[in-house]
Amino acid sequence: MTDSVEIMAPAGDWASLRAALQAGSDSVYFGVEQLNMRARATNNFTLDDLEEISFLCSEHKTKTYLTLNTVLYDHDLPLMKRIIDRVKETGITAIIASDQSAIMYAHKQGVEVHISTQANISNTEMVEFYSHFADVMVMARELSLNQVENIVNTVKENNITGPSGKLVEIEIFAHGALCMAVSGKCYMSLHTYNSSANRGACKQNCRHAYRVTNDEDEELMIDNEYIMSPKDLCTIDFLDRILATGVKVLKLEGRGRSPEYVKTVTQCYKEAAQSVLDGTYTREKAKAWKTRLEEVYNRGFWNGYYLGQRLGEWSDQHGSVATKQKTFVGKVLHFYPEPEVAHIRIKTKELQLHDPIIIVGDTTGVVETTVESLWVDDQPSEHAGKGVECTIKVPAKVRPGDNLYLWEERD
Amino acid sequence: MLIQFFRNKCIGCNYCVEVAPERWQMSKRDGKCVLVGGKKKGNMYQIKVGEHERYVNEQAANVCPVNVIRLD
Ligand code: SF4
Repeated sequence: MTDSVEIMAPAGDWASLRAALQAGSDSVYFGVEQLNMRARATNNFTLDDLEEISFLCSEHKTKTYLTLNTVLYDHDLPLMKRIIDRVKETGITAIIASDQSAIMYAHKQGVEVHISTQANISNTEMVEFYSHFADVMVMARELSLNQVENIVNTVKENNITGPSGKLVEIEIFAHGALCMAVSGKCYMSLHTYNSSANRGACKQNCRHAYRVTNDEDEELMIDNEYIMSPKDLCTIDFLDRILATGVKVLKLEGRGRSPEYVKTVTQCYKEAAQSVLDGTYTREKAKAWKTRLEEVYNRGFWNGYYLGQRLGEWSDQHGSVATKQKTFVGKVLHFYPEPEVAHIRIKTKELQLHDPIIIVGDTTGVVETTVESLWVDDQPSEHAGKGVECTIKVPAKVRPGDNLYLWEERD
Repeated sequence: MLIQFFRNKCIGCNYCVEVAPERWQMSKRDGKCVLVGGKKKGNMYQIKVGEHERYVNEQAANVCPVNVIRLD
């Protein structure tokens, strides 16, 4: 059993990074420029953001990991080196890499290296091989918990240490999307859309519905057309067994997800892991966390390969089955700190007293609340319609430009 | 024919270079592609070229996974 565990949250943009910090993540991971697996996303961080990310996260005592895990070509090497140099200068904790050129360069520069899932580490000798360069290693997603435990035990028995001199820490995926690719290596998007997943440009065409037909135009009877789209991994209801293996780091997937996803998922896993460590984890509590996890983006949940007893479970619909949805209502114009009141311009939809809402912004992260008091033209009101300006009480600081959404049960 | 290139969104995958190496080259400075002879205009690069270049550059525009090459 592990005595401490690190919850690692995804940060695809500033709002998600703030949401991860608000939720108490122990570490965050993110990409910069085009050399990361989310290169297609519009709001990647840039090299110039590293200083601020490092500063902000160190204030929260949160570790920072920069992903540098695409396939690297010769023309990428100067940028790869420049990124690692900036990591060193700005005090980012470590890089997550799979290409040996990046691993080697970071190691030479004395920058901490974590081996990414793209390296597909699935046995102890691979761990020993990479221990010359790395202190933390993500296991292949296809391992069972018994196999993970065996690796953790062998690391202890054989005293396999990383460059820091400490025992190598084993990290596994705990939550989020799994794809049909082996450890993130997939050619489907490249073959169908000429858009390489291995350069961070995955078009996710496995997520669509497919029919299987042969040359004679005979169609195979399959009761689910989403035959290549696995459900999302969720380990919250056997987190006690996960931590019993001795893994040190739990990775939450979702750099393309929204800030409220990051906040909810991080909070749930943080609370659950803490309760396992305290000895207060119960099945009932796990059930409640799972219900909370279902509120945000998911394609249905399964156990992954950890418990070994089930083969891939496929999603049966396109997109999310989240039980909650957010609907844009308006924007924050101003915040009055003393009474903690936000001045809102309603844009698309009427806001009513008792509505559950979230306010989301780059610096604000995610503030979740219920409209408990609402004023229009300095008069208490039951509602504020489209085009109206109103003020509402909020529980934390929000900022001009933040978006206000209704946060309701999905119909 | 006008070629327009929205460089900041290029992910440096090298595909355009494979099909139109005369007009596209990878920069070792930042790992993104360069439109050879292109002039900067706002946040994009552009160049007027003869019709004889249309075929290969159409291919380049088609293979680009992030659609940052436009032809007019
Ligand atoms: S094909 Fe597009 S993304 Fe790839 S290098 Fe050329 S311009 Fe950049």
